[in-house]
Amino acid sequence: MKKEIIYLAVLLFLAAIFGSCKKEFDPKEEGALVPKTVDFDAALPSISVNGAKLHSEAFGNPVDPMVVFLHGGPGSDYRGGLNVKNLVNNHYYVVFYDQRGSGLSERHPKNSLTLQLMLDDLSAVIQHYRSSPLQKVFLFGHSWGAMLATAYLDKYPNAVNGAVLAEPGGFTDEQVTEYMEKSRKIKLFDEATNDVFYPDQFFTGRANDHAILDYKLALSSANSFATNNEEGIEGPSPFWRYGAAINKRFSEIAKNEGFDFTTNLQHYPTKVLFLYSTNNRAYGQPHANKLASAFSNVQVAEVKDTGHEMIYFRWNNVYALVLPYLDSLR
Amino acid sequence: MKQLPFLILATVLALWIQPSFAQNINWKTLQPSQKHIVNLNVGFDNASVIGVGYGYHLDTKMPLVLNIEYSMPFGDNRFDDLKTKIGGQLSVIQAGNFFTTLKAYGVIRRYENDLTRMVNFGSEFSATAGVYKQKWFVAGEFGFDKAITTNLKHSELMKEYNPGVQSGWYLPNGGNFIYGLQAGFSFKGNDLYAKIGKTKAQDLETSSMIPWYFQLGWSMKLMKSK
Repeated sequence: MKKEIIYLAVLLFLAAIFGSCKKEFDPKEEGALVPKTVDFDAALPSISVNGAKLHSEAFGNPVDPMVVFLHGGPGSDYRGGLNVKNLVNNHYYVVFYDQRGSGLSERHPKNSLTLQLMLDDLSAVIQHYRSSPLQKVFLFGHSWGAMLATAYLDKYPNAVNGAVLAEPGGFTDEQVTEYMEKSRKIKLFDEATNDVFYPDQFFTGRANDHAILDYKLALSSANSFATNNEEGIEGPSPFWRYGAAINKRFSEIAKNEGFDFTTNLQHYPTKVLFLYSTNNRAYGQPHANKLASAFSNVQVAEVKDTGHEMIYFRWNNVYALVLPYLDSLR
Repeated sequence: MKQLPFLILATVLALWIQPSFAQNINWKTLQPSQKHIVNLNVGFDNASVIGVGYGYHLDTKMPLVLNIEYSMPFGDNRFDDLKTKIGGQLSVIQAGNFFTTLKAYGVIRRYENDLTRMVNFGSEFSATAGVYKQKWFVAGEFGFDKAITTNLKHSELMKEYNPGVQSGWYLPNGGNFIYGLQAGFSFKGNDLYAKIGKTKAQDLETSSMIPWYFQLGWSMKLMKSK
């Protein structure tokens, strides 16, 4: 009898908890855990190019020299890079887009995503915004975006007129692995590390359950600005939505197929500006010089008093290096 | 809430069948007079964790132990992430040294970081089968950890980044299959054991970031006080 009373009390307690719920949400529902992408929200600025609907906007005079910003990730978005918009004041036409499967751009099946598609998207974005064949085009890539910019220079050395590369992880899979081992060390007894893994038991999603997977990736992003993080990141920086499928897909490509973005880089004649930050302990000048040596014409510069998220936290220091470089090539 | 009957049923099963917990018992050496079992364990269960447990051995025809267990990940914030299990384990088949055990739990877990706080109600059902002798045991286990429903409360930071984010109950949440091996030594009312295995999401396509679990544990069986 005593047992039955206990069971009844537990049931009443649970009934009180669940019965009080006014509404439950489906984690797969767009807009509940993560913002809607452009294909679900017509109010967002977007362009349709190369078979994809991309979240994108441009600022400045369309005939000015174009600066195309490439965000990090793979799978992040351009929200943390919006300071680059300030180049409009120096008469640059600044173009932003969330890469395929990233940020607020349309999602695609994981296995359809390839590097060549990303390069084709970049060509299509440039073509979409370019007002004339004579208009100069510069790439400004951060982290993974700097890797993508390098892959583009490697493949199409005559397509753009200059590039700013802010702490690309590496230009080969070995270099990226080396950087990741330093920057995202797995410390098994560390709060930040455990905070990345623990949510796996709360939500699971299929390979293309984008809303769930994107949300989980967003949660794990908090690890990047943990106290004493190796990359010297000062704190949280804003984002819209992460793209888990593209992130996972490119990890698989790097692991299973490898990559090398340097095979043709020596043929890129124009000077490249290569930036690294003072406070990123996992990067430093040696890693910067190692990567920069793949170019025949490169300026390596240190961005002081900041870490990997230099564009968001110390834009003025970045700007002081980027503007003279761009002006020298315009 | 449409799923209320299912939730109640799962909880009833977890409590009534009095099925399981992660604490491993050498049934061969479990005496009727050994009523209390205490357990300490460390390992990896979606994070590096430390856990404690208590079991009560009931006077039943089939060997039955009721359990409660608490575990939490290592880290600076000790009580922001945790998992509790309430349930039991029932030895359903005994043939010589071969035992089969069914386990079931009601699970409550919590997680918090700078962006969100999650509280999940779930269940875990598993079966172990193996050889249990006086000094040692080895067994295989297979189970399913269902994350039934989760309550989310997003932080101000998350709401600043995504003003449309919804706090509240989310359903369904998915689950993970678990499968692995366990083995242990028994001496003077103590069991020292290790278990290792893999996890696979319920779609059988995806996995956790680290799709492994591992546990080292010590269970001590205590006599009923007179």
